[in-house]
Amino acid sequence: MVWPAAPLAPLAAALAAGIWARAWITPPTGWLLMAGAALLIAGAAALVWRRERVATVTLIGLTALLGMLLGATPPLPADHIARLALGPSATVEGRLAEEPRRWAPDRTRLVLEVDGLVDGEERRPATGRIQFTLYGEPPEVGEGQRVAAELKLHRPLGFRNPGGFDYPAVLRREGILLVGSGKAATLVPLTPDEPPWPVRVKRWAVATIVAHLPEASAALLSGLILGEKTGLPPEADEAFRRAGVYHILAVSGFNVALLASFVFFVLASLGIPRRPTAVAATFSLVGFALVVGGQPSVLRATVMGLMLLLAVLLERESQLPNALALAVLLLLAWRPGDLWEPGFQLSFAATAGIIWLAVPLGAWLGTRGWPHWLASAVAVSLGAQLAVTPVMLAHFNQLSLAGVAANLVVVPLAAAGTTLGMLALLVACVSDLVADVLFQALWLVLWALRLAVKSAALLPAALVYLPSPGWVSIAGWYAALALLPFLGARRWPRLATAGLVGLVLALSLWQWVRPGDGKLRVTFLDVGQGDAILVEAPEGPRLLVDGGPGGARRLDVGERVLLPHLWNRPAARLDVMAMTHSDPDHSGGLGAVLKRMRVGEFWENGRWGPGSEETLRALERSGACRRTLAAGQRFWLGSALVTVLGPDGAAPLDQPPPITENEESLVLRLDWRGFSLLLTGDLGAPGEERLLAAHAPLRALALKVGHHGSRFSSSEDFLDAARPAIAVISAGARNPFRHPTPEALGRLEAAGARIYRTDRDGAVLLETDGATLWVTRWAAGTTERFALDPERSLDQEN
Amino acid sequence: MNYPRPQLRLLFLLAGILLVGLGVREWRAGFPELAERLERFDREDAPPPIPPQPRPRAAPRWVAAARPETPASPPVARPPRARAAAVQPEPVTDPRPLDLNHASVEEIARLPGVGPGLARRIIEERERRGRFDSPDGLRSVLGLGPRKLAALRELVTVGE
Repeated sequence: MVWPAAPLAPLAAALAAGIWARAWITPPTGWLLMAGAALLIAGAAALVWRRERVATVTLIGLTALLGMLLGATPPLPADHIARLALGPSATVEGRLAEEPRRWAPDRTRLVLEVDGLVDGEERRPATGRIQFTLYGEPPEVGEGQRVAAELKLHRPLGFRNPGGFDYPAVLRREGILLVGSGKAATLVPLTPDEPPWPVRVKRWAVATIVAHLPEASAALLSGLILGEKTGLPPEADEAFRRAGVYHILAVSGFNVALLASFVFFVLASLGIPRRPTAVAATFSLVGFALVVGGQPSVLRATVMGLMLLLAVLLERESQLPNALALAVLLLLAWRPGDLWEPGFQLSFAATAGIIWLAVPLGAWLGTRGWPHWLASAVAVSLGAQLAVTPVMLAHFNQLSLAGVAANLVVVPLAAAGTTLGMLALLVACVSDLVADVLFQALWLVLWALRLAVKSAALLPAALVYLPSPGWVSIAGWYAALALLPFLGARRWPRLATAGLVGLVLALSLWQWVRPGDGKLRVTFLDVGQGDAILVEAPEGPRLLVDGGPGGARRLDVGERVLLPHLWNRPAARLDVMAMTHSDPDHSGGLGAVLKRMRVGEFWENGRWGPGSEETLRALERSGACRRTLAAGQRFWLGSALVTVLGPDGAAPLDQPPPITENEESLVLRLDWRGFSLLLTGDLGAPGEERLLAAHAPLRALALKVGHHGSRFSSSEDFLDAARPAIAVISAGARNPFRHPTPEALGRLEAAGARIYRTDRDGAVLLETDGATLWVTRWAAGTTERFALDPERSLDQEN
Repeated sequence: MNYPRPQLRLLFLLAGILLVGLGVREWRAGFPELAERLERFDREDAPPPIPPQPRPRAAPRWVAAARPETPASPPVARPPRARAAAVQPEPVTDPRPLDLNHASVEEIARLPGVGPGLARRIIEERERRGRFDSPDGLRSVLGLGPRKLAALRELVTVGE
């Protein structure tokens, strides 16, 4: 079938489907090539015998096949850095592929296009792309510059959790197979910083904006015009997300359209004819795309913009759907992996939504008596919103309820700000004084924009978090949207749409009302170096013990791991959050959870040390009921009993404890039917001695090993009393403390415990129905089954 | 003489923008404190830092181990109060006032209530004027209101 308005659409869909299919089926490349050759011959034959329809179908099949071939990872050359044998640290030379990005005060991230590896005196040529973090103050370097650095390189390792985000896959799609770290002082520039002109223009633009505007306004304007969001304060970033208008901070069709209409408006006002204007607009679009860089949304918008300008030049009717399909084809042929990127999906979904839905929605609103300008603005906003909803839910668990309304106010302000900003930058090339006046006017616009965003973000249910939908729901939703323009004409599309929407709603609701399976679940999440343990009682209540590392200045585990995991359970609230002690690797991630989720109770040991400020503030604002626990207290979590074994309260809360904060960790014991679990936080040997002296009930089936397997924890006496059959160590791979230590591992093995480690096994899941215990190592995907008998001895069944 | 309509539209728009810009510039210079407050309306200050507890040195294992068996001995070698107080870091302040006419951006940025952005604007003002005649010259710097100036007056001076 050929769609008259968009002849390229079936081809684009076929290419995308091919790349998509490659993720599930991996036939040998040889077969694919042979099938391709067969299709090519069949197509040629069909052409010779004038069977156009057959030839069309063959062409679509061939495109899908090409997609499958493109979707495969290309073979690595022999001198690729990922194939070379590297020592513990290596000196790497290469060209910086991006501007360095400072993501914390003393951490800078760089991407290097490697060209050589220095090994002592010898220099070997090498290829490949690596990403690394430098600690400390690096010398001034920029994109395109050749540098050398001494790095520790390793394969990227993400957090391996159920439903978790696959970080190594994201890097792999960018061609990065190795990541590394090193000291900033080892970075040596080999060539002077002479970046290509687009980078220079971008740097100049950012510097000009910063010179004329106060900090936050400057960061916002850089985001609006250049998509440069690094300077944006986190709370402003958060407000844009909550208001559902984050898209204006990414460079997209919005900027491209504004730039083109700016050029058209100015030149047309000056009486310049259409064709030269279109040529001028073409040059400014290409220049703009080069300056702001190659994100999928920029490329998509530029390709479509150029198509439209070409239509003006050739005096043809412009066809948006076809331009969109061409953009899909070009982008996917160039970078097939982008198909999986949220940015790509959002950009194309929003554009397709506007093209497909804005006109029918606007017409429908018009018949309801809405004024024309309002109807069309709402229709555009709603069309984009409806189309991106599944993508936002699948990647970020976010459903924006304020977005459609907020966009009505924010988009015009952003348009004014962007246009004025481009004008001011243009003027700044000539006169700084006049530009300053323009920037002052701009400040007012930006301020109004911030006010609008902040007000929208303050609405109570501006953004709700829901579990990510399954494939059936997503397909059903898009099928319903596809039918939307035909609702008025006949009866069956209306019935079909109602049926599909009903199916999607039923599937979404089922996740919430599904009855439990009567099992107790304990999930030791892989959060790197730190602890985060989710206990789910069979009746539903949930207890989260510790939250891994987090906070604004580093990778926030709360944001990246805990919240997605909880949202996908699905969980609307957390009944209890416990913080064993306030060290940042236990408390850091809790702040994000407290900010975004309703928490019933917060259990603490009453001591807050440095590094936990943000969590404390989030706690104070969250309205969770706080309890300072002491040994002897008991709580029912559904039918599971939680007993507090420590701290014993010997050290007054207003004074430092006699040994260290770790010894004041909350020690919790969980009992349910034949299952028992001991959670000891970072307790060390002195704390263990105190528990033994207090004759605490330590005997347990499973033990969360104290202090990530430090050699100062898990003493022989303690293990003798606990006699755990299962020991879970929560530690980060390659952590600088070298946890778990051979000493602790040896003692655990001697005590007869089966050891599970989050640094090797990813998340460790314990599930029990009271008679059987299933233990899953998430990374390996293996589950072991044990029978629990009343004697607490453990028999492995398979 | 008549301009064509589209050009009139464009020129009016430009004139309007310039008028608004000039107005905002005047207003921000006149009420720098209010402008700064408006600029920061959606910002959040970092939470107050929790002071580090004086950490006693990790006691040797026998100290804790000995406790249950010998209750007569004093519990655990708790650090004496005086020492605990001594560990608290003293705020380091330079008693000499800072010479505004010769100070670098970094030095100015170290003054209380002055961030890198404000420090840069102070330097720009100094370059515009040549030199500050008195600390009151800071008044015309964007974001430096009378309250902040009063706090700084003791800490800065103007040299030749």
